[in-house]
Amino acid sequence: MSGNAFATRVAITAVALGAVTTAAGAADFDWKKFQGKTVTFLANNNPVSQALLTYKGDFEKLTGMTLKVDGYQEQQMRQRLVTVMNARSDEVDVFMTLPSREGEQFAAAGWYGDLSAMSKSHAAKDYDFAGLSQALLKAGTFGGKLTSMPMNIEGPILYYRTDIFKKCGVEKPATIGDVEAAAQKIKACDPAITPFVSRGLKPAVAYTFSNMLHNIGGSYMANGKSNLCSPKGKEALDIYSRLLRDYGPPGVVNYSFQQISALYRSGRAAMSFESSNELRTVMEGGERLKDTGLAPFPAGEAGLVPTAIGWGMAVSAFSKQQEPAWYFVQWATSPEVQKKMAVQGIAPPRPAVANDPEYRKWIDEQPVRKQWQAALDVLATKGSSEVGYPIVANPQSREFIGQAVQDLILKQKTLDQACADADKGLNELIAQK
Amino acid sequence: MDHTPLSESWIKRINVLQLVLAGILIMSPTAWMVLSSFKPSFEVTAYPPTLIFSPTVENYSQLMETTPFFSYAINSMIVTLGSAGLGLLFGIPAAFAVSWTRISWPAVLTLAARMAPGTLFLLPWYMMFREVGMIGSYAALILSHAVITLPIVIWVLLPSFDNIPRSIFEAAQVDGCSVTRILWKIAMPLVGSGIAVAAILSFVFSWNYFLFALVLSNGDSKTLIAAAFNFVGEGSTQWGALMAAATLIALPPLVLAAIVQRWLVSGLTLGAVKG
Amino acid sequence: MVDVANTVTPDRQRAELAALSAPAVLFTLAMIAFPVIYTVWLGFHSFSSTGQQSFSGLANYSKLIADNEFWHGLWVTLALYLLSLALQLVLGIWLAMLLFNAKRLPGIVRSLFISPFMMPPVVAGLMWLVILDPSLGAANYILQAVGLPPSDWLASPIWVIPTIALIDTWQWAPYVALIVLGGLQSLPPSVYEAAQIDGASAFTTFRRITLPLLLPTIVTAVILRSVDLLRFFDIIYITTQGGPGNASNTLNIYGFRVGFEFFNIGYASALMLTLTVIVFGVVLAFNRLRGAVAW
Repeated sequence: MSGNAFATRVAITAVALGAVTTAAGAADFDWKKFQGKTVTFLANNNPVSQALLTYKGDFEKLTGMTLKVDGYQEQQMRQRLVTVMNARSDEVDVFMTLPSREGEQFAAAGWYGDLSAMSKSHAAKDYDFAGLSQALLKAGTFGGKLTSMPMNIEGPILYYRTDIFKKCGVEKPATIGDVEAAAQKIKACDPAITPFVSRGLKPAVAYTFSNMLHNIGGSYMANGKSNLCSPKGKEALDIYSRLLRDYGPPGVVNYSFQQISALYRSGRAAMSFESSNELRTVMEGGERLKDTGLAPFPAGEAGLVPTAIGWGMAVSAFSKQQEPAWYFVQWATSPEVQKKMAVQGIAPPRPAVANDPEYRKWIDEQPVRKQWQAALDVLATKGSSEVGYPIVANPQSREFIGQAVQDLILKQKTLDQACADADKGLNELIAQK
Repeated sequence: MDHTPLSESWIKRINVLQLVLAGILIMSPTAWMVLSSFKPSFEVTAYPPTLIFSPTVENYSQLMETTPFFSYAINSMIVTLGSAGLGLLFGIPAAFAVSWTRISWPAVLTLAARMAPGTLFLLPWYMMFREVGMIGSYAALILSHAVITLPIVIWVLLPSFDNIPRSIFEAAQVDGCSVTRILWKIAMPLVGSGIAVAAILSFVFSWNYFLFALVLSNGDSKTLIAAAFNFVGEGSTQWGALMAAATLIALPPLVLAAIVQRWLVSGLTLGAVKG
Repeated sequence: MVDVANTVTPDRQRAELAALSAPAVLFTLAMIAFPVIYTVWLGFHSFSSTGQQSFSGLANYSKLIADNEFWHGLWVTLALYLLSLALQLVLGIWLAMLLFNAKRLPGIVRSLFISPFMMPPVVAGLMWLVILDPSLGAANYILQAVGLPPSDWLASPIWVIPTIALIDTWQWAPYVALIVLGGLQSLPPSVYEAAQIDGASAFTTFRRITLPLLLPTIVTAVILRSVDLLRFFDIIYITTQGGPGNASNTLNIYGFRVGFEFFNIGYASALMLTLTVIVFGVVLAFNRLRGAVAW
C-alpha cells in the first residue's frame, strides 16, 4: 500500500526532475540505496531544525531509512557533541553546526567528515549544488574541505517602530550616525521608551558588534595582530557601547535574544538590533505586526557589510555510515525541502527559492515579511560570516570583544584601556597554536 | 519569666505572623510560575506584569502535542525511583555502620563524587558506559544518578543514627542480636523521619538532574528535565510552555513530599524509647 | 561481662559492619575511579589545535597559577559560598523552627513551604531572570510601586553576587529547613519538657538546648550545601554566564566554559580537579567538626 503511494511519489519526482535535468542522470541515483539503515541526527532544537523535522516522515518514506533525532538546545547540543566527538564515538552520524563559530576548531580537530566529493558524485540530479549560497558554502569550507551544507541564512537586523519614529519625527536611519541621532530624539520625545537595544551579554556581543565593526570599515585582524585598537576598531567599540549605555535598557549587560525580543515585543523599545530568526518570537501575539519596520543595520563608512551566517549540516568524521548520512544531509538541504522550510519562516540559503511563487505568496501575506526578506537579500549578497576572530579559538575571542564592550557600558575602563586589554588577550589567542 | 495566658497568645500570634511572612516570600515566585503557565506565552514577559488575564491551557496542550511528554515522564520516573531506591538500599546500612564505628571515611568517599563538577564525569562516563554498550539504557542513568542520591542518604541519616542512644544497641546485643538485625529491627524504625527526608531529597535531586542524561541517554531514555530545555533558544523561546513544563515537573516531588510529610510529623517514636 | 554474645562479638561485629558499608563504598569506587584517573591524565596533557594530545607535565597547572581569571574565580566562588551559606543556615533554621512549632499545618501546605528546592534549578534561574530584569521584571515594578529606587540586580557588577546569593537562598534555605526539621523530629521531647518546667523562655530553650542538640544535623546541612555551593553553576549559567564582565565567573562556570565552549579539555581538567580538591578540603574540615559535635 505504502509502496504504491511511494511509487507514485517517485514517478512525480522523476517527472519534475525530467523537466529541469536530463532524465538519464536521474536514473543513476537511487534514494533507496540504503533502505533499512538508521541515521542518527544530533539537532539544535531551533526553528531551523523544527521546520525541517516536520518533514521527517517524508525522508523516511523516500529512502526507507530510519531517522533518529536527538534534539537539544544549542549549548547542550554542543556539550553532547563535544563529549561524543572527544570519545571518537560513531553514535552521531549527522549534526548541526555553526561554521562561523566552531568551524575552524572542529575542522582542526578532524570532527567533520569531508563532503567535497560526495556532494558532487553522490547527489541526486535535482540537488542543484550550484544553487546554494556560495558565500555560505565558502564559510563551511576549511583547508579545501567542504565540511557542512548550509541549512538557512540568518543574521542580525534592525527591528524598528514606525509609529514611534513618526511620533518623534524620526526618519528611518540610513547611517550609523542616524541611529544615534534617532535614539537621542526618541529619548527626548518619549522617556518611557527604550530607544535602542541589542546584545550586551558577554559571549553574545560579537554577533551584533561584528556588523557594526564591518560597516564602519574595521577589521578584527591586521598583519596577524588583533586590530581592536585601530581607529576604526575603537570607533566601533565606542559607538556600540555608547548606544547601549546611553540609549539601552538598564541591565543591558545581561541582554541576549530572550530579553531583547521580550522588550521589543512588549512595545518598550523603539529599535532592536537582533537576529532575523527572532521574527516569529517578536511577532507573537500580533501587537508588533503593524508598527514594525525591518532593515539591515544602517551603513557606515564601508557601506553595508551585514553579518550573515547560517546553520550547517555536517557528517561526523567518526560516523561508520558516511554515505547514508550524506543522503540525509542532501535531502535536508535540497531545493524541495528548503522551499517547504522557507514558508515556515526559515530564510533559505538558496537565492532561487526566494523567487519561488509559493514562498512569494507567504512573503506577501504580511508587510513585515516583505521587509524581512528584503533585509535577508542584502545579507545574502553583501554579508560577511566573520563573527569574532577568524582563528581556531574563535569562541574564546568573542569573550574579549564582549568584555571590552561591557567595560565601556559599565564605565569601568577608558576606551584606550578597554581595547588595549582586549588586544593583549586576543594577541595571545592568535599566537596560540 | 512569667507565662500569663496573654503573653502566650501573643507568642502564637507572632508565630503565625512569621509563618505568613515566610509563606509569602517562599511561595510567591512559585505561584508566579504556576500563574504564568496559564498565560498566553508572550504575556509571561509583559510589562507591567499582568495579574488579571484570561487563563488558557494552550501551553499545556502545546506541551503535550510537541513533546512526547508522557514517555519522558516515564523515563524520569524510572530513573528517579531506581536511583533513589539504590541510594537508600546502599546508603542506609552504610550510614548505620559509619555512625556505629565512627569511622567516617566511607561517608566522605561517597560524597567525593559530589565534590567534583558534574561536567568532569561527562566524558569518562560516556566512554565507560559506551564500552559496555549501555548508552541509552535506563541502567546507565540509574547508576549515574545513584552517585548523587547515595551521599545524600548517608549524610542525612548520619545524625539521626547518631542520635540513638548506644544503650539501646548494647541492650540488644546482650540479647544476642546481630548488627544487621539491630539495624533492621531497632535502628531503622527509630530514624523514620530521617529516612523520609532522605527519600524526598534523593527523589528531588535525581528528578531535577539533567547533565548526565545529556550524554548518557542517547535520546532513548531522555528525561523530562533534559527535554524541558527545548523551550528556550534563539527563535524558539516559549515562556508559557516552559512554565507549564516546569509546573508539571515540580508536581511529582511536591506530591511525594506531601505524602512523606506524615512520617516527618509523626517521627516522634524515639522520645518514647529514650524517656 | 562473661556473656557469650560479648565474647564472640568484636570480630564478627567488625566484619558485619564492614559488610554493611561495603556496597556503598564499592559502588562509589567503581563509578568514580576511572573518571578521576582519566581527568588527572587529561590534566597532564595539552591539546593542539589539530586535536593532537601531547604530555605536557604540569604546564596546565603552571598556567593556572599565572591565570588571573582562575584567582578571580576562586575569590568569586568563596564570596558566593560564604554569603549564601550564612543566609541559608540562618533562614533555614528559622523556617524549620516555624514549621516545627506549627504542628497543625496540613501536609500539603508544609510541602509548599519547602517547595522552592523542588523546582528545577534551571527553571528557577529563568524565572528569576524574568522577575529581576531591570526593565521587564516584577521586582523593580514592585520596588517602584512602594517608592523605592529600582536596582540593576544581576546586571550590576557590585550587586550580582548578593543577588545570586539571594536567589540561591530562596531556593535552598527550605532544603536546609527540611534537613533541620528531620533532626528536630528525632530529638527527644523530654528535653523540652524539662526546659519548660524550668520556665525557660522560648529563645533560651532554643539557644541552650535545641541548637546544641541540633549541631550534628546542622553540620550535615552545611556539608551538603558546601559541596553544591562551592560548585555553584546552574543559576549563573542561566542568568549571567559569569558576567557582567567576569563578576560572577565562579570556578565551575569558568572550567565549564574552558572545556565545552572553548574546547580546551586539558586546561579544563586541571581547573576542575583543582576545584574538586578545594571542595574536598572543605568537606574534610567540616567532617572533623562533625566528629567533635556528635553526641
